[in-house]
Amino acid sequence: MNAVDATSRSIEADTGAPPSLLTVILDTNPHAWNLLAPSLPLHKALASLLVFLNAHLAINPANQVAVLASHVERAEWLYPTPPSRGHQQVNGDVDMANGGPVQQPPDEANKYRPFAAVERAITSNLQNLLATTTKAALSSTPTTMTAGALTLALSHTSKLTTAGPTSTQTAQSSFNYSDPSSNTSDSRAAGSSAPGSSTSRILILSTSPDNSAQYIPTMNAIFAAQRLSIPIDVLTLASSSTFLQQAADATGGIHLSSTTPTSHAGLLQTLMLAFLPDPTARQSLILPSGEGAGKSVDFRAACFCHRRIVDVGFVCSICLSIFCEPVPDGTCLTCGSHLALASYGRKPAVVPRKKKKRKRVVGEGETPGSAGGTPAPG
Amino acid sequence: MADSENEYSDDEIVTGKGRAAASKPKRAHARWENLATKTHDLGDAADGNIEGVLGGIEEANKRRRLLKDTTPLQRGIIRHTLLVLDLSIAMNEKDLRPTRYLLTITNAVNFIREYFEQNPISQLGILGMREGIATRVSDMSGNPNDHITAVRNLRSLEPKGNPSLQNALEMARAALYHTPSHGTREVVIILGALLTSDPGDIHDTIKACIKDRVRVSIIGLAAQMHICAEICRKTNAGDESCYNVAVDEVHYRELLMGITTPPVMRATDTEMQKRNQAALLMMGFPSRVTEDKATLCACHGQLTRGGYLCSRCRAKVCNLPATCPTRDLTLILSTHLARSYHHLFPLRNWVEVSWQRAREQNSTQCFGCLAPFPPAHEGADGSLPKRAEGASESSRYECETCQNHFCIDCDVFCHEVVHNCPGCQSSAHLPGVEVEEANGNGHVDGEAMETGA
Ligand SMILES: [Zn+2]
Ligand SMILES: [Zn+2]
Ligand SMILES: [Zn+2]
Ligand SMILES: [Zn+2]
Ligand SMILES: [Zn+2]
Repeated sequence: MNAVDATSRSIEADTGAPPSLLTVILDTNPHAWNLLAPSLPLHKALASLLVFLNAHLAINPANQVAVLASHVERAEWLYPTPPSRGHQQVNGDVDMANGGPVQQPPDEANKYRPFAAVERAITSNLQNLLATTTKAALSSTPTTMTAGALTLALSHTSKLTTAGPTSTQTAQSSFNYSDPSSNTSDSRAAGSSAPGSSTSRILILSTSPDNSAQYIPTMNAIFAAQRLSIPIDVLTLASSSTFLQQAADATGGIHLSSTTPTSHAGLLQTLMLAFLPDPTARQSLILPSGEGAGKSVDFRAACFCHRRIVDVGFVCSICLSIFCEPVPDGTCLTCGSHLALASYGRKPAVVPRKKKKRKRVVGEGETPGSAGGTPAPG
Repeated sequence: MADSENEYSDDEIVTGKGRAAASKPKRAHARWENLATKTHDLGDAADGNIEGVLGGIEEANKRRRLLKDTTPLQRGIIRHTLLVLDLSIAMNEKDLRPTRYLLTITNAVNFIREYFEQNPISQLGILGMREGIATRVSDMSGNPNDHITAVRNLRSLEPKGNPSLQNALEMARAALYHTPSHGTREVVIILGALLTSDPGDIHDTIKACIKDRVRVSIIGLAAQMHICAEICRKTNAGDESCYNVAVDEVHYRELLMGITTPPVMRATDTEMQKRNQAALLMMGFPSRVTEDKATLCACHGQLTRGGYLCSRCRAKVCNLPATCPTRDLTLILSTHLARSYHHLFPLRNWVEVSWQRAREQNSTQCFGCLAPFPPAHEGADGSLPKRAEGASESSRYECETCQNHFCIDCDVFCHEVVHNCPGCQSSAHLPGVEVEEANGNGHVDGEAMETGA
């Protein structure tokens, strides 16, 4: 039929250049950068990052970048420039809608204009951000707002990328949210490993340890990224992060750690070689193995009661909250259900039971009661 | 016949309020009739810019879906569900494309994926109804891939004979017999046929199901059947929203996917839970390792390179979830548990923003996606057309905790996909929290938990 002909042609047209959005989350934790200063000062890292962003922009003229700072007490856009709420005048809106900086930069003859715009916006916004950081904010926490930055990045990405795909999807655009597997599963079933219509990805340059208070928001963001098939790449420059390891693992991103002075010196090289190729290209590349075991992932979770990171925990069977120790007076701190303390060792039914159906014939009158497979508490 | 006719229309009115059926067009009005009334309303409202009104309606619809109750509910998150597929001759009908049978297989595969996404440590089993008997398609297990393979294999099987609801229910009951009491017991039946050929009195089976706390939901593909309505009503404590008939492919899918959301616990269930003691389960969250040399796994004694190390005894198991073979500790991927946390700490609904409020805050861009808003000063004099009921007049939605303004797309995205508020997560100082400190705002989970503790 004609349809065959038409599809093959449209595919050919598509393979040219799918534009992609790269969102970089830069961890600007001053504590961590202070420690990194001898081997990797922030300005050097920033210079490498800018080259990396320019490289991404240069690959395809339709490519876009976005940069977020995950700072100590807030997460903020570095590029595109956000509005500073309150004192922004209305006539400034037009410029910002274009994603450009507020003041028109003077043109530099020797620079490709998009590069210059990105560079100027990022450096000036970063300076602003650091200048407005108060001492109180610095002393309050040693970590950063990774979850917030991830959430912002995801909303931004989803807005930019779903505009296209929703129209080509099913008639009901509502469906891509309530049922995310609708489009991905079909393509998987067909055996095509196409990375979906969106080629956006997120790169996190992480320097801070986990903030266990952000466990749930971070996990929520990870699942959202998984649903949108946005890989989250993570490059750890200082202390390693359990949650970000899980993020990279769950979303099919790359997790590399570069924590030694030698590897810091090669930051640009790491960025360019490991993180610049898009997911399609990565399939035919072999990842430079960072220090530490290649594919090991730490799946520990944060307990809900003290925010400790635990590898063995007590889980409420009603709401699945994790606690690091038996809850006081047997009441779940999250959902308030009364929990039987005596039955720690009880197995939840996560293991497939090898049971046969012969019970069926034994008369319909008998009830399993509470004794069916579970010991009575106490 | 007349009886069932009445039953039918009553049922429809009730299901209008049901969870999955909210978007379902009532049978009393055909779709085209609904559309016609809609356009009529639109003509009344639109004095000028019709595009604005249309956009407003779309926005209002999106919003309506979001405005559900976000109070944290106890959900029976460890579920035990049996999916019963009709494999009878009636499934050859082509009223749902490509055929009822093939569509059911596709939908079932998606159902399995979504079910485990939503109910990470739940169990699922699949049965079939064919030639008057119930057949086992896949055993109860927590591994989606087993079920998906089994269901895909059904493709090579021809639908044949008549279905038997009684046999299917009996088999389901037997399969759910041993499941622990802190979980739910559910049966989901997809029925294409308009008959059931049963060996005995199905009412006895219904009684037995009630006794065993088995809840049955049925999705019909053809028309309403009195017995199905009765089964669902009786096993769900009089709740009639569990029996639905799919009107088209999209509706069919919606109905099935609606079931993947963990059910709200009913009062009787809560009592049941109390009596049967919800348990605190000790679980390990093992880390994944890869090894240079293959070693034996503790579960099967096979040589593998990599696996998960038990957090207690470092025994290596090859798949999760599992029970540590040496210490009887349940090992689970913590990410599986985390998938369900947004049910526990749902994101609070955002409120519509009036023009006045928009001017107060002087918001020019969506906080989440940076999309520009219509400028606030324009709306002041009422020059912009009035927008549909339910949509915000200024196209802004405000999170009351962080007082940031968002567009409708971010509203939908944040409530349905991420379950985080970008504003609340990206600032350590939240104006809304300081104002209504004691309110224990349900969704900034940190606060929620601390007040709970
Ligand atoms: Zn704790
Ligand atoms: Zn609980
Ligand atoms: Zn094994
Ligand atoms: Zn937005
Ligand atoms: Zn908020």
